[in-house]
Amino acid sequence: MDRVWLPFIYLYGVGGIIFTVGLILILRTKALRPSYERHRKWLWVLFYGFFFWAGLHATFIFLALGSR
Amino acid sequence: MDLAIGTSLDRIIIIGYFALVMGFGAYFGRYSKTTTDYFFGGRRFAWWLIAISIVATGVGSHSFLKYSTKAYQYGLSSTMTYMNDWFFVPLFMFGWLPIIYYMRIRSIPEYFERRFSANARYLATFMTLIFMIGYIAIQFLTLATALYRIFGIPLMMTVVIIAIATTIYMHFGGQTSVIFTDLIQGFILIFAGLLLFYLGIQFLGVNTPFSGLQAFWMNLSPEQKLPLAHFNKPPDFNFVGIFWQDGIAGSVGFLFLNQGLIMRFMAARSVNDGRKAVAFNALVILPISAIVVSNAGWIGRAIANAVPGTLPVDMASNDVFVAVTNVISSPGVFGFIIAALCAALMSTSDTLVNASSAIIVNDIYKPLSKKKRSDKEQLEFARWTSLGVKVIAVIMVPFFNTFDSIYEANGWFHSTFTPPLAVGVFLGIFWKRFTTAGIIATFVGGAFLMVLGQFYPQLISPFAHGIELRPDRGYSYIGALYNIIVCAGVGIIVSLFTKPESDKKLKGLTIFDAAKLKGIYKGSAPNEAIGEKIIVDWKTNKDDQDGIRFSKNDMDRMKANPGDLVYIQDARWWLGGLKSAHSIFALPHNEDGVVYLNSSELDHGQFLSGMQIKAEKEM
Repeated sequence: MDRVWLPFIYLYGVGGIIFTVGLILILRTKALRPSYERHRKWLWVLFYGFFFWAGLHATFIFLALGSR
Repeated sequence: MDLAIGTSLDRIIIIGYFALVMGFGAYFGRYSKTTTDYFFGGRRFAWWLIAISIVATGVGSHSFLKYSTKAYQYGLSSTMTYMNDWFFVPLFMFGWLPIIYYMRIRSIPEYFERRFSANARYLATFMTLIFMIGYIAIQFLTLATALYRIFGIPLMMTVVIIAIATTIYMHFGGQTSVIFTDLIQGFILIFAGLLLFYLGIQFLGVNTPFSGLQAFWMNLSPEQKLPLAHFNKPPDFNFVGIFWQDGIAGSVGFLFLNQGLIMRFMAARSVNDGRKAVAFNALVILPISAIVVSNAGWIGRAIANAVPGTLPVDMASNDVFVAVTNVISSPGVFGFIIAALCAALMSTSDTLVNASSAIIVNDIYKPLSKKKRSDKEQLEFARWTSLGVKVIAVIMVPFFNTFDSIYEANGWFHSTFTPPLAVGVFLGIFWKRFTTAGIIATFVGGAFLMVLGQFYPQLISPFAHGIELRPDRGYSYIGALYNIIVCAGVGIIVSLFTKPESDKKLKGLTIFDAAKLKGIYKGSAPNEAIGEKIIVDWKTNKDDQDGIRFSKNDMDRMKANPGDLVYIQDARWWLGGLKSAHSIFALPHNEDGVVYLNSSELDHGQFLSGMQIKAEKEM
């Protein structure tokens, strides 16, 4: 249990870069326009999804560490 | 090893289940009027229907066997592959989905022709078909592996029987029947998977000092509770290799290349409904699916830790799911859970068969046909190609049976066939400078370097993140990173030295035209004003002119003008768009609360007399 944090950091580091570049690309090309109310809601959903998964993974890591 | 033979009750339940699913599919086949309906379901369905129908496709039957194996060996980290898709969701929702929907891209090869050239299309068709038919073969092998022990029939005979059974309802159905059989199977799959988890926890509660979820949780070691695997070891299950194989290549493959998924989204009534289906799938369905496919392995591991001797020590890796299910469930229940496995196989294979058939008709038959074929001829040809695809898949099964396990067969297959197509479609959408010569180089030069990497795995070592190179076996997963780099590298270098494509040719096919797509789809400037959805009675239009007629007041409420696009559906929400049609607003009349429909909308929507219609302006 040394195994624990590097996979998490790598997953959300590399994944976070892909996610951020993707967001910048769709904002710059006006594929996603925050000025539209419907698109603004989708922008929140995209952020929510990213932190939902990061939070879920972190929670299970802490639960596993707590059961040692 | 001889295990889980099952009882007569189990066999009756499995056969009854097959019969029920086939009847269900044939019933919904009557909604397939044209090849567009047969392949794409006619762009009519609500987001929740599309989302739930994806469940059974995402939880293919090989998932149960494959993930149960890894869950038994390594615990909760078996869920890694279900929880790393979100990084590409922004690019899918606002890049690829609007492009395929508004530009009416019917297949991956079609995109390659419109974005690049006919030669690129033929290369992509060849690679896509090999990928999909091989995948169908793996599906057939998986179910046969689970079933042949129960029925005592030789493995290959079981494969043939399964192929014939799925042909019957697919032959009479099409995409609408696929969507509706998948819908019911999705529910049953989730129910069966969660039932298995409940039965496992009950079993542990009786045989250990703990009860409830604690009986499961406390019987796993702390390491087996971690959600991610060790960074770079062991070679057959490590985080960094699986991240590049599944989280990157697999996610792009699933979201951008999966013809079955593309056809689901083409069946959605709008792009926004497609986005809702993606979000619901990634945030709600995937976590549940991860539990459904893995829990037999987790329960098996907890049983092995707490009650040694219950499960065979020398259990083969592919046998974990069947062995654990047999231990914790009673006769009849065992049959039901195995029948749910059948459902998953049929869902994944029928989606892939339908998708392969779509590619053969749209990318080979139509372009190479000397004379123009009628829709009826094309539909008949589509149904026979479905049969041909299955025959080839059955012939490929013995090859995949030579691998040590289904997990390895699937892993080898994915890492070999996904990267060139994934790189090609990804650079095509997100890099305007990517040229036709670049894509050909990606397919040919990239594939050559990939084969070289298979024979000389030392080439992959610089990318291996410290994963051990096993003599004579190479790398299981991290090869995907090498394959992505060589395919992208060759494509980018060649593109930079060749002439860029013209803006006219690229119109609507890259993310840089995303803001213009609605106008291209409609043929004129889109009407973005947000109107109400209205519920009206309907009457038949006597003069059968183009479009449908609402009253002036109703059109004002919808903020619609003549020539705008309209979507009408049966007002009963739970039909999910099954009875619906797209049309355009014709000139208004003065009878509020009534819409006049012509014969083509009535035929397509199959609206019932006396039932009200819900109407909304599109876009």
